[in-house]
Amino acid sequence: MMPSDSTLSIGQRFGRLRETRFGAFVPVMLALIAIWIYFGIAEPAFLSPRNFYFLFMQSAVVGTLAVGITLVLLLGDIDLSAAATAGVCAAVLAVLIVMGVPGPLACLAAMATGIVLGSVQGWLVAYVGIPSFVVTLAGLLGFQGLMLKILGAQGAVNMRDPFVRSLTTVSLPPLLGWAVAILCIIVFAVIVLRRQSQRRQRGVEVDSALALWGQIGFFAGILLAVVMTLNSYKGVPLLVILLVGLTALLGWITTSTPFGRSLYAVGGNAESARRVGMNVNYIRIAAFGIVGLMAAIAGILGASRYASVSFNAFAGGPLLLEAIGAAVIGGTSLFGGRGSVWNAILGALVIGSLGNGLDLSGASAADKLMFSGAILLLAVAIDALSRAGSAQER
Amino acid sequence: MNSTAAVVEPQAPPAHLKVTGIGKSFGGVEALRGVDFEVARGEVMALVGDNGAGKSTLMKVLAGAIAADQGRFQMEGKPVSVSTPLDATSLGIQIVYQDLALCENLDVSANLSLGAEPLKPGWTFLPRFLRPIDEMEMEVKAKAAIDRLQVRTLRSVRAKVGGLSGGQRQAIAIARAVGAESSVVLLDEPTAALGVAQTRQVLDVVKRLRDTGHAVVYISHNLRDIFEVADRICVLRHGMNVATWRTADTTPDEIVVAMTRGLDEGPDDAI
Repeated sequence: MMPSDSTLSIGQRFGRLRETRFGAFVPVMLALIAIWIYFGIAEPAFLSPRNFYFLFMQSAVVGTLAVGITLVLLLGDIDLSAAATAGVCAAVLAVLIVMGVPGPLACLAAMATGIVLGSVQGWLVAYVGIPSFVVTLAGLLGFQGLMLKILGAQGAVNMRDPFVRSLTTVSLPPLLGWAVAILCIIVFAVIVLRRQSQRRQRGVEVDSALALWGQIGFFAGILLAVVMTLNSYKGVPLLVILLVGLTALLGWITTSTPFGRSLYAVGGNAESARRVGMNVNYIRIAAFGIVGLMAAIAGILGASRYASVSFNAFAGGPLLLEAIGAAVIGGTSLFGGRGSVWNAILGALVIGSLGNGLDLSGASAADKLMFSGAILLLAVAIDALSRAGSAQER
Repeated sequence: MNSTAAVVEPQAPPAHLKVTGIGKSFGGVEALRGVDFEVARGEVMALVGDNGAGKSTLMKVLAGAIAADQGRFQMEGKPVSVSTPLDATSLGIQIVYQDLALCENLDVSANLSLGAEPLKPGWTFLPRFLRPIDEMEMEVKAKAAIDRLQVRTLRSVRAKVGGLSGGQRQAIAIARAVGAESSVVLLDEPTAALGVAQTRQVLDVVKRLRDTGHAVVYISHNLRDIFEVADRICVLRHGMNVATWRTADTTPDEIVVAMTRGLDEGPDDAI
């Protein structure tokens, strides 16, 4: 039996909180708010709509990668090659466009490249049995080389294709932004309320009314605040809608389909998954394939945002570590079986806010690196501690 | 030693699952040498023996995890063949391994439906593994399975398995095996790692299984548990049958002697 609520220590309460559906969500949200308050006081410009706009834009590429990486982390694997894969896909995109291929077609080719690169690595992990750390480390090195080869001697190609550029330059008109937000809130509320009434009908446990309306209010509040902030600068960027849409799709797949359930099952207990007849090898390959696809999308978004594809933007930079850091800060366990793609977005915002805030306050590159390291360490420590805590309760 | 007790009673219930002459070697080691074993519906058949007697091997043969070298399987009198876990499952034979194989990061209902999640109707334009799971149906089924076994201490089927006690986990592993339309349930040392209260809980679940008409095979080292739940006790030694007793007609001492020395007390039998 579990101890009754009144006898719980703060640590146990925290551990219990982590076990709930929003368990990992709330601490990251609080951390993000704390960071915003701190920088808001230290540097008032931080809280301006303009800065938030750029913060979202800056975090989008890292966020896309982090959402993908979350899937392999759920399996208990890791993908160190995601940023390099993004680089190869961006290079393919750039070269195709220079050759005169239309933008949308070049994007599809880049995405196919990503899926192939990811799946091949997944196959090596699943069937050849090489640890994912090693496979993707080899991928990291090899793909960086491949990217250089595709880009040619200069190591950079400019991106002028209007379609690709529009992905990160277009913003919705304010009214349309409001309309989308309100539509999302209505859909969310209908889904939540309908589920509740169905649960009541079928006589299964129902959530409390407070939790129900709290959920809806919380969702509506965040959404309206975001739209209001962005509208008072340039409007909601198309990029943000793309990223949220992709994350919603992957969030639905991971939590509500047999495939998603098998990701969690393999991460939690691979032997158990095997015994109930899941094909663990296929699941691995599919997960790595999806990471490849997300990396390709990140590559396209990166190319669009920087208006060029350069070796340094993907391979030489800290993109990979920021993406893994974002997933882990979001509460996705490196030990597998626990995490959520939504939290990866929050994690990306945490990392983005730190970088942005430290830039604004004129911190040196050295300070920024050390600060990011400390935050990452803190996040992994919380993961390890909450894991140890739940193990003791047995 | 009274060897007349060793004769299988004529009034034994008709066997649901019966195997005869099972033999299995691993390299040069003969793990099973012509073993006969049977279990009836509504009966708990204990399988005991010293370490290396062949209990676990026999259990794995019954579950299809190991293919026997020789021997015949009969289900309700009809010959059947069991050489893969899939064969066993399709005949309604389910095994609960000692390590349980539960996913601690998932909740009770997800564990019970793992690999066979109920899906919402419609959505046929999507491949099966991408259709939405019917969570409510899953919870209803989980609740029914838990209620059938009367696991009273479990508060919610939405609780994560990682936070449950050993007895509750064992009960969930058993419920998962039973939920899959099974008639034969094989339990491997279900109380080995449990305390007194937890053991009590699991034994109650085993009795519920018997009362609901399952054929239960129960491996254990703990004779006190066996004498509490088992209807018959089958003793193996050196990969061979010693005998099968009705629990009511025997004593723990007699079983211990049979496990360690067999029925003949001759000095040539000691190893």
